[in-house]
Amino acid sequence: MVLILVGVTVIVFSIMMLLPPGQRVSVYVQDERVNNQQLEALIEKYGLDDPAPVQYWRWIKGVFRGDFGYSVVAVTPVIEAFKNYFPVTLELVLIATPLIIMTGVWLGTKAATNKDTAIDHGTRIFAIVGYSLPTFWLGLMLLMVFYGLFGLFPPGVLSNEGRDVLYSGDFQRYTRLLLIDSILNWRWDMFWDALYHLILPAFNLVLLSSAMILRLTRSSMLDSLGQDYIRTALAKGASKNLIERKHARRNALIPVITVSGLLFAGLMAGMVITETIFNRPGIGLWMADAALRLDVSAIMFNVLFLSGVYVVMNLVVDVLYAYVDPRIRLS
Amino acid sequence: MSAETNASRTGNQHPRLQEFLFSAKRFLKNPLTIVGLTIIMAFAIVAIFAPVIAPPEKPDDPFQIPHDGWMMEPQPPSLEHPMGTLPQQYDIFYGLVWGTRNAFKIGLLIVLANLVIGVLLGAIAGYFGGVVDEVIMRVTDMFYAMPFLVVAMAIVVVIGKGLTSIVLVLIVLGWRTYTRVIRAEILLIRDKDYIQAARASGASHMSIIMRHILPNSIFSVLIVASMNIGTTMLSAAALSFLGLGSDIGYADWGAMVSEARNWIVGPANARLQYWFVVFIPGFVITLFVLGWNLLGDAARDVFDPKQRRR
Amino acid sequence: MDALLKTEDLKTNFYTFEGVVKALNGVNVMVRPGETYGLVGESGCGKSVTVRSMMRIVQEPGRIESGRIALFFDEKDKERGVDIVQQSDAYMQKLRGNDISMIFQEASTSLNPVFSIEEQIGESFEFHRLDEMLRETVEELDAEIQQGKAGFLGWKKFQRSQLARELASHTAYDNAVEELDAQIIRLESTDLQGNASAVAALNKKREGMKPFSLSTRILRRVPILRRYRNRLSKTIRTHIVELLRSLGLPNPENVVDRYPHELSGGMQQRIVIAIALACNPKLLIADEPTSNLDVTIQAQILDLIRKLKEDTIESVIFITHDLGVVAELCDRVSVMYAGDVAETAAVKDIFAKQYHPYTEGLIASVPKRDQKGELKPIHGTVPNLVTPPTGCRFHPRCPKAMDICSQVKPETIEIAPEHFVACHLYTSEDKA
Repeated sequence: MVLILVGVTVIVFSIMMLLPPGQRVSVYVQDERVNNQQLEALIEKYGLDDPAPVQYWRWIKGVFRGDFGYSVVAVTPVIEAFKNYFPVTLELVLIATPLIIMTGVWLGTKAATNKDTAIDHGTRIFAIVGYSLPTFWLGLMLLMVFYGLFGLFPPGVLSNEGRDVLYSGDFQRYTRLLLIDSILNWRWDMFWDALYHLILPAFNLVLLSSAMILRLTRSSMLDSLGQDYIRTALAKGASKNLIERKHARRNALIPVITVSGLLFAGLMAGMVITETIFNRPGIGLWMADAALRLDVSAIMFNVLFLSGVYVVMNLVVDVLYAYVDPRIRLS
Repeated sequence: MSAETNASRTGNQHPRLQEFLFSAKRFLKNPLTIVGLTIIMAFAIVAIFAPVIAPPEKPDDPFQIPHDGWMMEPQPPSLEHPMGTLPQQYDIFYGLVWGTRNAFKIGLLIVLANLVIGVLLGAIAGYFGGVVDEVIMRVTDMFYAMPFLVVAMAIVVVIGKGLTSIVLVLIVLGWRTYTRVIRAEILLIRDKDYIQAARASGASHMSIIMRHILPNSIFSVLIVASMNIGTTMLSAAALSFLGLGSDIGYADWGAMVSEARNWIVGPANARLQYWFVVFIPGFVITLFVLGWNLLGDAARDVFDPKQRRR
Repeated sequence: MDALLKTEDLKTNFYTFEGVVKALNGVNVMVRPGETYGLVGESGCGKSVTVRSMMRIVQEPGRIESGRIALFFDEKDKERGVDIVQQSDAYMQKLRGNDISMIFQEASTSLNPVFSIEEQIGESFEFHRLDEMLRETVEELDAEIQQGKAGFLGWKKFQRSQLARELASHTAYDNAVEELDAQIIRLESTDLQGNASAVAALNKKREGMKPFSLSTRILRRVPILRRYRNRLSKTIRTHIVELLRSLGLPNPENVVDRYPHELSGGMQQRIVIAIALACNPKLLIADEPTSNLDVTIQAQILDLIRKLKEDTIESVIFITHDLGVVAELCDRVSVMYAGDVAETAAVKDIFAKQYHPYTEGLIASVPKRDQKGELKPIHGTVPNLVTPPTGCRFHPRCPKAMDICSQVKPETIEIAPEHFVACHLYTSEDKA
């Protein structure tokens, strides 16, 4: 596990090191008119021409001290930037993930229990189209129609008035998650404002990502419905409805859980595009900027963080497995 | 169904060939296949006849979209520009037609390269097991754990923006799926009797892998690959969209959509004024990807024996 | 003639990817009250499909195509019986597990891996004995409340009132259902034109009936309030333990909390039997119940079934490909081949004299104590039923095949008293 994280950082760090120090220093340069001497001083200062292992070692030592360096793109230390950006991303992911899973499982169950009917074919088309739509294009189209044409669901995270409240000083930021903070501050106007801005990006993600859960639920439901224990339940006198809801679904959800865990991790990483389009200042937008301007500290931090999320979600999935599947629980 | 009774009916064909022919027949009858094939064929025709459909002004550099002047505001479809123009008056129609060639190149080249790398690594890992397996699979895990888009963006920036870099990056990062799939398949059959028999009779590792293992496990990988052509196209387009592709004026679909970002809202009296900039290039990408996904889905239905008995 | 269950010209097809599998080709069998009836034949010849059709639990992509399955459970209706092919799903649910139940061949896959034994057996009681269980629980709670036993009195009173409410609404439902079923069956038996739509309407009403009032249905789903039913589960649990003990399972209090994978094959098979027997069915169908078990366990299970037959169950249908078991356990037997019944007779008759070449072959392929020389197997395999052989489906493998065999399906005739056979050797001798 730790090995995987170390491996990932080594790989990404090595890629960064492919650039000559002269280019890497450019992110630190504010003034265009620096001369060569000044550049070299900067390279010296940040140790950019040390051997790669030395630089990596310096970085990893910092990580253990909780020092991830300075993000040039965010113009703050990486940790500070993360504290600002992450809640925005988390809020969207936390809203979207349950919606995606519920939509997918619901439609997938419907498709499986109505196999080869119009419902089944309909969900199939929905899924294939969902697979095929480019995230960025769907997002742009949604914005063009809802925001452009009807003036609904603007991009961003808050309206201008909302932002004024946010920075007025009366608004306590307990969790930095806008929805929760609004409730804690008892500002329902803020709550609706924040929710209003979440609808379109969440809808975008549901349309695109529920397809995967749908297809998986369908095939594992079909698998489960064909098992012998379904026949036993039928022979006991269970109704069709109960069999689908209880006997088949419980088994069918086991593979869905794995994918849902990875979905969460995947959504985090996929925020690059969603946040760029909907102009939400989360880690996705930050990463996009960082990657474009080669902000090494920010890139390394985010790669480490997102790989960490992936690894942790794998663990969570294992625990959930044990919860739903008694065969694993005991062994 | 015993092979014996089937064989007596259809002549003495090899059972695997027979299974394949049976499946292929089913595949071609599937409406999804027909729609998918039609879409892909249409794109293929456009790609092949690009010089006829949209004659280039500079034949030695056909991927450069011709443009009329430098005006920033996109112009709606007209006789001269049937699908309108991008900022700086690049012709959308021309870009889409020549972009088709790039799309095929991207999709097929990347997936093919991924397949070769992934299948080789997976076959080696699955067949030899032990330390080799451990090392290869841990590296695969690392590639899974990496945030794909972020790493891809960083690499493209390091090696220089452009379509070639995007293709390169997707080759480097995309093989991971196939490794896992082929390894899982091989583990299932590695200890089967016929492999043991081949080994006992002195066949070399290479010939066992090539002649006995791969033919039995390649199908599921090919199904995954057929589903992945579309996904790969989407990743490439996403990278272009994020500004890592070619500069404006190059016939690349993703780069063309990225132009749309600034034109989603028209002036107050005509909100949808620039719809063609947003809609058309993205729609063409969707259609292309949809074609491949339809084929992939139908193929999985028919060729995956586990799926199709249902 | 007296019968408990009778199928007439039963046809069941499977609509698979490769084509339509004509699994049953017009099966006529009859089970009499009080007998153990055997079904034998090679694998894939339709034994399991026959009995699954009898319970209407043929799974996708299978479908009962035509024919009649008549039940004669009701004393009043010995003439015509109830044709269950025509009944609603809701009617079948009441029947399954209650009047007819089934033991399956693979106990390990027949149990749901994610539910405990208690949950799996308990469902049988939930489905068919809910009134009794509720009544018992309410009485117990009444007694406890009166004695003022320790415990939170308010919660107990809530439990009691809620369970009593559930009982009342469920009893009302049971009565209504019974009345409706009687009405439907009466209408069906009159055979009048125009009744069909009335029956359809009643069946629709039957399907739509809900066992509980709305408030109870909601309460049963609310996480914390739902706990009033814990008391009911406790009652059911004692019944399960009792049932398992009566089946000779060691340590039943412990077993009920286990999951299927923690039990041995023999134990699993007993659990499957317990599920089937929970509600004392009139007819028990045993579908190769011992095929994957050790020989000693097999003997135990067979003994158990024999004992159950003596004590509690009226009739048993026993499916097997082991002729030894048939000789030991059954009263009458039918031999099936590729979806057809080849021969039916009392067990001692069929071992004494076989008329159908297939039966002959089956018995000749079993080693006997005074076996001399080689065994004679039947050559070939059961045909692919997507494209079954024409005429008599056995003719490609039959040593005595004649020209007519490939053209006409043979009629079933009574060749000796109570001995039925379907073979051209006996029907078309003069024609051939």
